Amino acid sequence: MSLTGFGLGLRTPHYEALLERPAGLDWLEVLSENYLVPGGKPLNYLDRIRECYPVVMHGVSLSIGSSDPVDYEYLAQLKALASRIEPHWVSDHLCWTGIEGKNLHDLLPLPYTEEALRTVVARVGEVQDYLGRQLLLENVSSYLNYRASDLSEWEFLSEVAARADCAILLDINNIYVSSVNHGFDALHYLKAIAPARVRQFHLAGHSDMDGYLIDTHDHPIAAPVWDLYAAAVAHFGDVPTMIERDDNIPELPVLLDELDQARAVAQAAKQRAA
Amino acid sequence: MSALLLKDLQRELQRHLLGESSAIESEIIDAPPLDVAARLGIYRNAYQVRLIEALREVYPVLHALLGDEVFYALGESFVAAHPSPFRSIRWYGGQIPEYLSLNSPFDEQPILSEVARLEWTLSEVFDSPDAKTLDRAALTALAPEDWEGLRLGFQPGLRLLSLRFNTAAVWQAMTREEEPPAPQSSEHPVPWIIWRQDFKNYFRSLDAPETALIGAARSGASFAELCEILGRWLPDEEVPLAAANYLNTWIGSGLITTLKY
Repeated sequence: MSLTGFGLGLRTPHYEALLERPAGLDWLEVLSENYLVPGGKPLNYLDRIRECYPVVMHGVSLSIGSSDPVDYEYLAQLKALASRIEPHWVSDHLCWTGIEGKNLHDLLPLPYTEEALRTVVARVGEVQDYLGRQLLLENVSSYLNYRASDLSEWEFLSEVAARADCAILLDINNIYVSSVNHGFDALHYLKAIAPARVRQFHLAGHSDMDGYLIDTHDHPIAAPVWDLYAAAVAHFGDVPTMIERDDNIPELPVLLDELDQARAVAQAAKQRAA
Repeated sequence: MSALLLKDLQRELQRHLLGESSAIESEIIDAPPLDVAARLGIYRNAYQVRLIEALREVYPVLHALLGDEVFYALGESFVAAHPSPFRSIRWYGGQIPEYLSLNSPFDEQPILSEVARLEWTLSEVFDSPDAKTLDRAALTALAPEDWEGLRLGFQPGLRLLSLRFNTAAVWQAMTREEEPPAPQSSEHPVPWIIWRQDFKNYFRSLDAPETALIGAARSGASFAELCEILGRWLPDEEVPLAAANYLNTWIGSGLITTLKY
């Protein structure tokens, strides 16, 4: 059965409220690393919450673009969690997080070169083979570009997906944040991505630093991101959409209201497109 | 100039983030709205802030004792000395107790290192492996002849800590947002056990007999051997009942997962 509708990221302060199955929440996105632990309360909540909702898994340290060898110990943990909670899919980011055995705990941008492309494509192949499932890769917010890049980010993302036969988690806020920080056209980015590859949308808030943006996930979704989301729905159609909130986390009903706003924006965009 | 390879760019950016000398600056495009230093600065700052935030989450009482400013300074120097090898940030910071005991000015207040050791241990116990623990009915099922060779299995989350200060009292007061007692050291280190029952952490101090008993029982001693140990403190006729009482308490606290006989 395929996943549809509107979801939220599973966050600790909402555990109890989620067990009451509030209306208007179709699925949850689980941050994989938070549950790669031997046992205890968070895993217990996860099991109970899983009984109430379909889930997808979202990781932050696959480091798919690292020049290190693939970390099979990490993959084994990821695979064990996946068989425990049976997510609709597993995603991570098109980035790197560290090399030489170190982890910088950040989603660092890749140079958009043919060489990097070959590295990523080979590694996606290894990961998909090991996990036995198609991976979704998400575009990250970025604050720098390398001189070495000779492709655009959207060309690079499209090429990775096509050559590695993986799917895309399109983060609408990240496209907007990077478009401001690097001065590209966010709509042009959207339209360059093949709809058949896109399996999920992320929405989130960012911080306006007066001239550039930081992807902080601590605010409500900003107006230009809603506009871009409407354009994305018009271009890609119905794609499962969720809101990420990682800091300054409000009570669950506040996020459910914001999720209703996403439903309304998507509905209006579809009507306009029809 | 030929473009750097992926691994070279990654090495240089990583060196920059770790505060080492790096040739990354000339590899970054200089274009509005930010100059190259500001672009790199965003990542460098995010790296530090994220790891220090992770420390703050594992060490809330240490943070409260030191205050924001000193804790942040501790975080900065610790992060500079300890890159993370962990996939999950949750495991970052286990060397903080050692760091506090070896570095000035923190080494002048040795209770700080103990508080940190307690907090790290609590975090380990919190997501230790799940295990089904026994209830007291398991003891009533034993036949009299089963007792002598009885051996105990303890829950995997159980930890032993030896504390020289009134660290637990300070931790408790701080957790309740009360004024903590002044640091006080005891003549001899006091053993404590930390464990979780269901999904809640507990800790308590042990007297000398219980310390010896738990140590021996965890190493596989039989009930008869535990009685022998207890004989060092008690007259023979009181030993079996006292030993059974200890066992009863351990089971009641959810420490015991198996009885083998």
